[in-house]
Amino acid sequence: MSSLYERIGGEAAVEAAVDIFYRKVLTDDRVNDYFDGVDMEQQINKQKGFLTMVFGGPNNYTGKDMREGHKHLVARGLNDSHVDAIVELLGATLQELGVAAEDIQEVANIANSVRDDVLNK
Amino acid sequence: MTHIIFDDKQIELEEGQSVLSVLLDNNYDIPNSCQAGVCQSCMMQAVEGEIPAAAQAGLKDTLRAQGYFLACSCQPTSPLRVMAANDMDLQSPATVVGHTLLSDDVLRLRLKPQSDFVYRAGQFTNIWKTAKLARSYSLASVAQLDDVLELHIRRIPNGELSSWLHDEIKTGDELKIQPASGDCFYVPGEVEQKLLLAGTGTGLAPLTGIVRDAIAQGHKGEIHLIHGVRRHQDLYLHQTLLDMAEKYSQLRYYSNVLEADNDSQQKTNRPLEQQILDIAVEPAQWKAYLCGDAAIVNTLKKTLFMSGMAMGSIYSDPFLISA
Repeated sequence: MSSLYERIGGEAAVEAAVDIFYRKVLTDDRVNDYFDGVDMEQQINKQKGFLTMVFGGPNNYTGKDMREGHKHLVARGLNDSHVDAIVELLGATLQELGVAAEDIQEVANIANSVRDDVLNK
Repeated sequence: MTHIIFDDKQIELEEGQSVLSVLLDNNYDIPNSCQAGVCQSCMMQAVEGEIPAAAQAGLKDTLRAQGYFLACSCQPTSPLRVMAANDMDLQSPATVVGHTLLSDDVLRLRLKPQSDFVYRAGQFTNIWKTAKLARSYSLASVAQLDDVLELHIRRIPNGELSSWLHDEIKTGDELKIQPASGDCFYVPGEVEQKLLLAGTGTGLAPLTGIVRDAIAQGHKGEIHLIHGVRRHQDLYLHQTLLDMAEKYSQLRYYSNVLEADNDSQQKTNRPLEQQILDIAVEPAQWKAYLCGDAAIVNTLKKTLFMSGMAMGSIYSDPFLISA
């Protein structure tokens, strides 16, 4: 049986998803404050890393990376509602790309599995 | 088994070992993060040898063309000479062969490098005044068309380098310059691609180079060039560009003046971010080059991206100004 990453479409799917996802994030008033004013190309690269991870692709992110990388945002008020919004936008992106509902659920599960690290709980 | 050459040392690789892993094993402090070919923080440059395709996956075509690769995804099968991506401390002498004003505050500086100087139109070089003081300037010339390098130097209030170049440097003097870098340049292969180029102030320098380069390489698609300036007299290549647009049917040139002045008929234009959308009606079909004032470049980049242009189709060079 093929892996989640293979079913979604691997690196090509990450490339296809990242622009769509980032546009949604920048448009969404619940979360765009946390993404505005930073270098857009750097952001795109980080988001590719994020998408690769939640698509079940190869990555070496550790819980410590997640904690360090989001500490300054938690200090600015990042909480569960923002993670919920990101998971929702992620789902909408994948739906647009025609990914099956079960696979979207699996992606959401991976995203939720790093929630506590991201929020430094 | 093969090897890499780094820092003038030959380092043997294990079967299937990455460049990043062998350098870290040898105690070199190479920036890295995801180690999965995604975050791009371990980017390095190959100067000799063959780069495995996987090591350039996801990189912009302009970076690939310069031999940049990701060390974590690079498992060479033949010897490869590599260097850190920012390793540019090579300086070479160039002679000033032209020193004329293009407007009241923009100097056209022409330089003849004393040794081979490889560059792509649109890249930038650094000029060194002292061992510690350098500033970056974009190249306005095209290697295949011009014998000399051309730079457009705006006088920055209290700018140490620009005042020196304007007031003290003269024809015949020698300057120290650095190898060209930057990933804002024309990549051949898509002759029908629609191109939008927008620049403010001396952001026009790299853009005119890119336009002339594209046309010389046989570009057939529409090329739209916008020069955004504060005052009418800042349109320092106005007539040249009007003439070029007359000569090449694929080229359109627009000026965008922010402040209306009393003694000219020029009216205040609509904002640049509106003008670019009026031109690139379906942004997803276009590629864009944006150069000049960092805040404006970033606004234009966001405007185009949010309107549907792929981030990978936007090349930008935001100028960071220091005194």
